[in-house]
Amino acid sequence: MAVEGRAIDGPAAGAPAAPDAGSRRPSAAPWLFRLRAPLPRYVGPAFAVGTSFAILGLWEFTARLGLTTPMFFPAPSAIFLAMVRMFAEQHLLWHAWISTLRVWEAFLLAAVMAVPIGMLMSGYRAVGAALEPAVDFIRYLPVPALVPLSIIWFGVGEETKIFLLWLGTFFQLVLLVADDMRRVPQEYVEIAYTVGANQGQVLKDVAFRAMLPGLVDNLRITLGWCWTYLIIAEIVAADSGLGFVIWAARRYMKTPEVMAGVVLIGFIGLATDQLLRLIHRRAFRYLA
Amino acid sequence: MGPHLQFDHVTKRFGEVQVVETPFDLAIARHEFVVFLGPSGCGKTTLMRMVGGLDLPTTGEIRLDGAPVGKPDHRRGMVFQSYSSFPWLTVAQNVAFGLRYRSDLTEQEKAVRAERYLDLVGLYEFSDHYPNQVSGGMRQRIAIARTLAAGSDVLLMDEPFGALDALRREQLQTELRRIQRRDAKTIVFVTHDVEEALFLADRVVVFSKRPTRIVAEIDVKSRLGEERTLEMRDGEDFFALRREAIGTVRAAAGGEL
Ligand SMILES: Nc1ncnc2c1ncn2[C@@H]1O[C@H](COP(=O)(O)OP(=O)(O)O)[C@@H](O)[C@H]1O
Ligand SMILES: [Mg+2]
Repeated sequence: MAVEGRAIDGPAAGAPAAPDAGSRRPSAAPWLFRLRAPLPRYVGPAFAVGTSFAILGLWEFTARLGLTTPMFFPAPSAIFLAMVRMFAEQHLLWHAWISTLRVWEAFLLAAVMAVPIGMLMSGYRAVGAALEPAVDFIRYLPVPALVPLSIIWFGVGEETKIFLLWLGTFFQLVLLVADDMRRVPQEYVEIAYTVGANQGQVLKDVAFRAMLPGLVDNLRITLGWCWTYLIIAEIVAADSGLGFVIWAARRYMKTPEVMAGVVLIGFIGLATDQLLRLIHRRAFRYLA
Repeated sequence: MGPHLQFDHVTKRFGEVQVVETPFDLAIARHEFVVFLGPSGCGKTTLMRMVGGLDLPTTGEIRLDGAPVGKPDHRRGMVFQSYSSFPWLTVAQNVAFGLRYRSDLTEQEKAVRAERYLDLVGLYEFSDHYPNQVSGGMRQRIAIARTLAAGSDVLLMDEPFGALDALRREQLQTELRRIQRRDAKTIVFVTHDVEEALFLADRVVVFSKRPTRIVAEIDVKSRLGEERTLEMRDGEDFFALRREAIGTVRAAAGGEL
């Protein structure tokens, strides 16, 4: 018996290379405007990079023409120069490092707590019933509203920042994890039982493994939210970190510096996201 | 020797829903291949899950070798229609999963055994593939090999070939029957395909729609013998039996199959 069709999409690795969708009709690019058509390799990245530069170019051009006030909306080149200057003179790298550290500390703390609790909440109805009202209640509290309370409890040190970030992510994550766990097919659990696994083994070897791809995706998304709360925390109570840098620059109306800080956060987010996506693709090849 | 598996006055209710109302009795001999055939919703899956220990009868008892069945264990293996193997394990690891929680075997013994069953179902050369990289038919073989490796002597199969195309079904049916003879397994197999039921079974148990009861038993073994081959499917005997069976099933379903 031979391996029949790997899947619907694309030839199997090692199969003779099929002609490109586009190469048969070189005059048109049918993949470009056909609904849900896959793009040939490198075309996607080319579009991504091309469009990004086009937007930057347009922005620079508009600013140079004097159509915007530099005070409010500086050109990309001005922002870039500001960023270079901040790296050189204002320890921008150190501030970025501090912020990144805070995000990961709080995020890992939230994840390490949310994964087991979320799994138990959907695995055992009683745990779910007990915790769901509290989790749902806290989840809807806007984090900024809790800043004063947090400062009363923890002062203005690191603890406040970690607490606020944790607060913003843990309660969301718990419910996402519980959902992931709910989606684990009952068949997987039952297969494990019928080969003699106990409940702990089912949770660890089957449920956790089955939900892992979804979990990693949810962690990636939640990590993004962490940055939002971080900036709030750093604006309110900090003398370091990117939120502090942005807020300090605002006081003197140094718009290029404010935007440089914002752009740097964007870059860090983009890089982290791409890295986690790469890890996802590598670790979960079996999904292909 | 008493029956291998026995349903004794079994009923089942889920909350308000009385799934098996009439007390259900059935004795299944050791090494017998029994097929449950009946309209959907009549409780075939429920009965099978109770044998596996995944559900409890509301009243009555199911006995394995004379003793009431308890929690699920490796003696009763399940093969489901879908999600029958783990996508994150390779074919070989999936088969070996059947032995993972056995503490009475050494790792060496487990490996040898897993390999043997991998070979038996013709998947040896796909050992390192992931389930998503092989056909639906092969995924069902993985599940069969896993339960065999686990050492189950009762195989519970719930429409395992339901999602496969006709050719692959025939091939797997022939193989399953061969394995059952060779390894002397007791099999309870659920299907709603009459031809599949007759080809595989020693005995076909035909269910009515709810309230569920057994409306007929077809003794296929005395009509067709124990050996089943592809050629038989085109033979007179099989054809005649099939026609009879379809009549029985139609009557049982009351025009609702
Ligand atoms: N866990 C459950 N809770 C409530 N009703 C159920 C449950 N499992 C099965 N049923 C009901 O029992 C009936 C029989 O189901 P099932 O055993 O799956 O039938 P079959 O396998 O013969 O199609 C169906 O009407 C189904 O809705
Ligand atoms: Mg069913």
